[in-house]
Amino acid sequence: MKTMGKTKKILGVALACTLLVSTALTGCSSVKTDDEVSKKTSSTSQEVKAEVKNPYKDEVKIAFVPNVIGDSVAAAWSTGMKDELAVYDNVTFQTFDGKASAETQTQIMADLVNQKYDAIVLQSADSAALATSVKQAEAAGIPVITLNLDADTPHAGLIAMVDYEAGKLVAKNMAEGMNKTGKVVIIQATAGATRGENLEAGFRDEMANYQDVEILDAQSGEWLTEKANVVMNDFLTKYKQIDGVFCHNDAMAEGASQAAEAAGRLDGMQIWGADGEAKALEYIEQGKMAGTIYTNCFDQGATAARLAMYLIGSETVTSSYTSTPIVKMAPIVVTPETVGSIGENIRW
Amino acid sequence: MRQEKIRRLVSIALLLVLVIVFGTTSEYFFTTTNILTLLRECSVVGIISVGVSFIIITAGIDLSTGAIVGFTAMICANLLYYTNMPAQMIIVIALLIGTLAGYLNGILVTKLRLPDFIATLSTQFLFRGLALICAIRTSGVITNKVIDNRGILVMGGSISGLYLVTIVFIIVAVLGQIILKKTQLGVYTYATGANRKSAELSGIDTDKVKRSVFTITGFCCGIAAIFLMAKLGSVTPDTGTGLEFEVIAAVVVGGCAFSGGRGDIFGSVIGALFMAILSNGILKYNLPTATQLIVKGSVIVIMVVFDSLYNGYMEKKIREKSKELEELSGGEA
Repeated sequence: MKTMGKTKKILGVALACTLLVSTALTGCSSVKTDDEVSKKTSSTSQEVKAEVKNPYKDEVKIAFVPNVIGDSVAAAWSTGMKDELAVYDNVTFQTFDGKASAETQTQIMADLVNQKYDAIVLQSADSAALATSVKQAEAAGIPVITLNLDADTPHAGLIAMVDYEAGKLVAKNMAEGMNKTGKVVIIQATAGATRGENLEAGFRDEMANYQDVEILDAQSGEWLTEKANVVMNDFLTKYKQIDGVFCHNDAMAEGASQAAEAAGRLDGMQIWGADGEAKALEYIEQGKMAGTIYTNCFDQGATAARLAMYLIGSETVTSSYTSTPIVKMAPIVVTPETVGSIGENIRW
Repeated sequence: MRQEKIRRLVSIALLLVLVIVFGTTSEYFFTTTNILTLLRECSVVGIISVGVSFIIITAGIDLSTGAIVGFTAMICANLLYYTNMPAQMIIVIALLIGTLAGYLNGILVTKLRLPDFIATLSTQFLFRGLALICAIRTSGVITNKVIDNRGILVMGGSISGLYLVTIVFIIVAVLGQIILKKTQLGVYTYATGANRKSAELSGIDTDKVKRSVFTITGFCCGIAAIFLMAKLGSVTPDTGTGLEFEVIAAVVVGGCAFSGGRGDIFGSVIGALFMAILSNGILKYNLPTATQLIVKGSVIVIMVVFDSLYNGYMEKKIREKSKELEELSGGEA
């Protein structure tokens, strides 16, 4: 009892001290937040940008910070950038693994600013969390180009694969494929993933136009083939009739297809993914998937690299932008009829 | 005692070797900005590692620290978004949530007799799930709102370049070391880890010790959540994911043995610094990502293998010494 009282007393004192210290710090003008520091740096960024480089002659360093390197989309972007920059001997291109963590990405960004990189291509894990890092890089005269997910601060450019629109396209094509009537399940991305949320929002909004289509269930497959396979098996046990399956990515659509095939219920089932990775295209050719939304990720990566080279050589001060310019990559609806138009050289 | 000092000197020497290697091979390593950034990077992991050191010294483990940080930060983000609560109150609430979460771990381990690994793995899922449920949504879609409350953001700030989180890390580490080395709780912590049965026979309430160390870790997680949230300026349901492994790696590299009864906060500080320097330094080379990971993994393995070999050697020496003494005393008899 005595010890408990003592512990409570210590905790009380610690919390009171915290209150006092945090009050003092809040009012203390000598403590500068990251934003205040970058604003100060930003006021001199005009001078930083005055040292414009010749991107085709001078030593140039470009970094790519994907959310995670193991992902096929990020790998295709990286290849696209590497191939685009390979012809320039003066350019060093380096990829840094974001380990699917906004915190890791902020650490890498801080290091790239310290190392005076000339441009950064970022697939931000979280638009809000990376905002300060992007602001700091821009303030230091380093243009930041984001891929797919915007950072919550104006920066050099965003090159985006569409997601909300892709979700709508899937819904439209799936509904047409089911003759505007049927029962649908959704295998979702990891809960909270922005791309997954946007894809589903587009899908549901478009599907609302088809009154005879019912969405039975939605469960997370965590972006993974194996997990989606388990979820699909569960759906197949639970529901006697499933006419359509929408998966937030192709890897999960492949898992769903395998489960439906093993249960002997694949025939006539509309299984759709999104991304357009090579294996999904093969599945469409084999009749195991109804379709996907393809984006040329090599081209998306190459576009980012071109924009980076342009900005390095330009006198444009991107830190003064009030909004972020956007390049949207055209989505291609791939079905068994159109899959042949995606050549081997652009499959990723 | 001498063995501990030698081990510590070797850890410091290895840390210096790493610093010298990176410092001499990269022109960006010894810059003021890089050193301050590096100290900032190790601080959040370092603060949690202070608490986790206590747990590992009792031969326990905590896999829920990252999730506690994420859940605590998510509650704070909600309070910031939906209420006009002052930052000071939010900070106090964060500390309370962290402490309670740690206490819950302690209860699961001591009252329900769950193994530490299972208990904290379960609470990892629990807190991560709660963070997802509490995530701020707009039209049903999770939206990560930017935190604009200066009172919170100032916690991620700096005084003349030195980040507040680093200052707090130093304070927490010093307090942790004092508790571990100079108080009854510290003595009981070592005793519980070295031999729990013997500690109980000596009258130590090892359950209470376990609850205390988990609660301390929860408190540290609360502190870490405030600084992580302030640094990122936003909270996602994934905030803090994987942090537990970085912390455990720092503590083990710093010399705390999984078998318990060995290690201290000073070692864990060195471990946290070591891990941060390794991550920071490796980025300076133009290495392919796969190579970076291999180098990082190999250096950690070398450190832990060295630790294990060193301990084996020292134990052998002690055995030999006691055998000699036994023989001597036998001869005399």
